[in-house]
Amino acid sequence: MKNLSDEYVWKALKEGDLNAFSILYKTYYPRLYNYGLKISRKIHLTEDTLQDFFLYVYEHRENLSDLDTIAPYLFSSYRRHLIRALKKKSKIVSFDEMDVKIIDIQFSPEELITHQESETFKNKNITTLLNKLPKRQKEAIYLKYYSGLNTHDIANVMELNYQSAANTIHKAIKNLREEVSILQLINS
Amino acid sequence: MAKKNYDTIEDFLIDESFNNWVKATRLTDVDFWEEWIACNPHKKDLVFEAKDIVLGIQFMHIEPSSEKVDTTWSLLEDKIKAKTLEKSKKKSPNYFKLVGIAASILLLVSVGLYTFNKSPEKISYKTAYGEVLNLKLMDGSLVTLNSNSSIYYYENNNRKVWLTGEAFFEVDKKITTNAKFWVLTDDLNVEVYGTSFNVDTKHKKTAVFLEEGNIWLELKNGATQKMVPGNFISYSSVDSRIIERKEKVASRFKTSWKDGSIIFEKLPLVEAIQKIEDTYGLTAIFKDEDCKSKLITGGVPITNLSICLKAIEKSVNVKITKLKNQLIIQKK
Repeated sequence: MKNLSDEYVWKALKEGDLNAFSILYKTYYPRLYNYGLKISRKIHLTEDTLQDFFLYVYEHRENLSDLDTIAPYLFSSYRRHLIRALKKKSKIVSFDEMDVKIIDIQFSPEELITHQESETFKNKNITTLLNKLPKRQKEAIYLKYYSGLNTHDIANVMELNYQSAANTIHKAIKNLREEVSILQLINS
Repeated sequence: MAKKNYDTIEDFLIDESFNNWVKATRLTDVDFWEEWIACNPHKKDLVFEAKDIVLGIQFMHIEPSSEKVDTTWSLLEDKIKAKTLEKSKKKSPNYFKLVGIAASILLLVSVGLYTFNKSPEKISYKTAYGEVLNLKLMDGSLVTLNSNSSIYYYENNNRKVWLTGEAFFEVDKKITTNAKFWVLTDDLNVEVYGTSFNVDTKHKKTAVFLEEGNIWLELKNGATQKMVPGNFISYSSVDSRIIERKEKVASRFKTSWKDGSIIFEKLPLVEAIQKIEDTYGLTAIFKDEDCKSKLITGGVPITNLSICLKAIEKSVNVKITKLKNQLIIQKK
């Protein structure tokens, strides 16, 4: 859903308003923190990179272009920021394949609400099935259903075109449905 | 309903009537789609795949607490201020100490904003207008208290709390003792084992929304009601009846206030403004009657009144002026 105040906060922030920046920070810190932790699996690294990142956003606020919504911008640039930090740490030079290799989101059973709306996802092995999905599909699922981004934003964050992002989500759900029905066949 | 071709997943996903069927929000759409599936058995797989995409997977949000975020924010704020000062080369360390002291006094004041009743066993908390308070009760349950609300309980029975105003509860399940948790209001009692739910007693009724788990309501007229996740029930003891009941409400509409925003979906402006009045203790005056029915959709922050009002002004194209405790709303 579109956040009516995003545009206003963004404008005030560009003028250097710390109050507006604190709203932006407090709104997005928790979600970005969880995303960072999912990617890096390290608490300290997540906290440090997130502070650096927000400082960067504030210091470079004048160069930022006007935005429809802030969320996709923050997710995609924090993702880049974090990947850069991870690369520096692991001293890997090759650039292109890194994202796919680094981002391998794992889900744990406690993270899933027991009362799932869909019959398919009520299956007790759903966490295992989720973790078996290809990395890109896992990230797309995470961004859509955990972070609440729409397909357009997910495409932006994952640096895909709209159609590939949509296909990635569809394939993930299709895979899960198939795996669940196989499990049901075995157990029946 | 217009007959269309549904060949790809996308055709279903962008179709409003399909979405209504999935979420069971409109009966005519439910009938239409049940018949459609019966007539198009070869597309059944596609339909259910699209349905799962819309329903999605529900995650628990495991994120840093607001206290933690506040702490990291003040660290960053100090860093930004220090950097700005460095740039302008007005180095004055004493000034900084003062800012630090002022900030810690402010922090103490805001932490101390709840009142701690010193009578031997009654423990109570109260919030001012515009303030939201996160509490941890003695038994480990978490309570988020909305603005202008209060809650109290007795030390010797800390799983029975009295509420005026609005609060969101995350009750710890006591597996060993199976002890119940109670929330009491003027209209009803909520009986809980371990779950998360929202209770709102504003405007002479009590509205309960259940996010997760199971709860029982004991209404003041003697009737009992079981609730399942997504249910919303509003009961008034003045009228002695249930005044509103919804089977499935998305959690964000009822509980977004605790994360500092209110989310509206096609809500008339007059009702949206009511929420702002409740939060800040203001009275709204509509200069133009037809402004009242303008529909508003989207989220607004409630932690900052001026930004909140600007967001509303912009989205429904009205002018809102704040005069003391009044909000004057008129056409632009």
